[in-house]
Amino acid sequence: MLHRNITYLLDWNLVILARKIHRWVAPTLVEFKRREDKLGGKKYYPRNTFLEWNLEAELYAFGKRLNEDFDSDLLLQAFTDRSYVIKEEIKQKEMGIDIKMKDNRELSIEGEKFIKEYVQLYLETVLPKFPLEGVTSISNHLLSEETLAVISLHLGTKDIILAAEYPVDNFILANTFKAIVGTLLQSSGEERTAHFVRDFVISQLQGKDVNEYWVIPNPYSMLTNILKEDGAELEPRLIGEAGKNTLLACYRVAIYVNKNMISSGYGETVAIAKEMAAREALKKIFGTEDHMKPINFQLEGIPKPNTNVRYQLSAS
Amino acid sequence: MSNSNLFLKSGFIRAPLQNGVGRFVPQLQRIVLKFCKSNGSSRGLRDFIEQDLVDFAKQNPSVVVYLKPRRHRGPVIVAEYLNGDRVWMGMHNKTHSEITKWIEVLRTQQGDIASLRLRKYQYTDYPSVQGPWTPFTFKDPELNTAKLPDPKYGANNRLPMTATEKLRLMFEKQKLNDVNTAE
Repeated sequence: MLHRNITYLLDWNLVILARKIHRWVAPTLVEFKRREDKLGGKKYYPRNTFLEWNLEAELYAFGKRLNEDFDSDLLLQAFTDRSYVIKEEIKQKEMGIDIKMKDNRELSIEGEKFIKEYVQLYLETVLPKFPLEGVTSISNHLLSEETLAVISLHLGTKDIILAAEYPVDNFILANTFKAIVGTLLQSSGEERTAHFVRDFVISQLQGKDVNEYWVIPNPYSMLTNILKEDGAELEPRLIGEAGKNTLLACYRVAIYVNKNMISSGYGETVAIAKEMAAREALKKIFGTEDHMKPINFQLEGIPKPNTNVRYQLSAS
Repeated sequence: MSNSNLFLKSGFIRAPLQNGVGRFVPQLQRIVLKFCKSNGSSRGLRDFIEQDLVDFAKQNPSVVVYLKPRRHRGPVIVAEYLNGDRVWMGMHNKTHSEITKWIEVLRTQQGDIASLRLRKYQYTDYPSVQGPWTPFTFKDPELNTAKLPDPKYGANNRLPMTATEKLRLMFEKQKLNDVNTAE
């Protein structure tokens, strides 16, 4: 079947292989887009305005899905965004009634505080040699609006959230997730909440390289400073070069301490190779090599803080 | 791949939200059964509702089940998933057992997997724990202590065998044979 989709473009003696996409495909897509825009862009209909919608059942199923027992009133409050309350108040004023509604701001602040503390403690425990700055940057990534919004979306909050707009933006999604954590904290206690955060937030590190979240601007000087404390002197050596003065030049630099090689790195210039070697050495010191054991996602309870050892390391 | 796949969304095999690394979350969030109370084409769906629906809802508390009777319209099942996918499935004239099986499919899949073209049959976030290949990766350790230039390492052994060499080998082999037969 392959030959049907591959076009051979013959240009004298030059043969180019290209996947054949019919000439009508692009104009058709353009026309679809044009007609859609003419009708006022893509329309989203809020799921909770459908006839087949039962908020109570949705909230019940939400708790069952996550295997958690939420306080139902608090859960509804967690799903109520500030924008919805404002909209409803204006509506009520027009109609001359006054029903008090609670939004999720307090719950989300509470939840965020808990997530922050727990993620920090958890990461310190599972990455015992990783410096504090690194742990903080991983934690910042996990607590960023984008990450929390993705988590929130995949827990099915999008349709349940009561907000003035639809589809809801990332800020509201992330905020709701924090509020759900806050709700759980009030309804089921700290340990269950901790396990909830572990299962949904920390597990996002699965398959990721933890070094990527921490930008080290000058790894060589950092390595020098760390090893200076032990009184060790660094010695970078060029231990291999290939393809010198060509486009595919490759240099290999190793870092030696007391005539023992601690790491090696390579790159297209000596400077890059030296930096890569330093990064490799830092990874070894921090226990986050490429072949490190996967992060443990099954720690029970809330880990105890043990910042004493780490503090010295990060001070360097 | 045929042309009908051109507009198909493409992607990789992924578990949504690292499902199962922490706890397992069933991915079907709600299912809407639309049917007619009198039309014969909804017979199977009505049977399912009468006999199995309560058990289904009891066994799957994480799924919100909606029933939507519509006069003189075809039977339809709409499943909605946590990743935002929506699967519409016509159930016209389907029997009770067929519908039971289709609902089982909808319940256990993670999204609208039928409308996803797989670019590859495997996926990893972490392609290598060894790092990429370099000219030094499989270097012979013998070279570390070798004193260069050395004819052993400098020899050009990449050329194919010449015709002269081939003839010489053939000649020597023949000579050996001659000696063997003479004995």
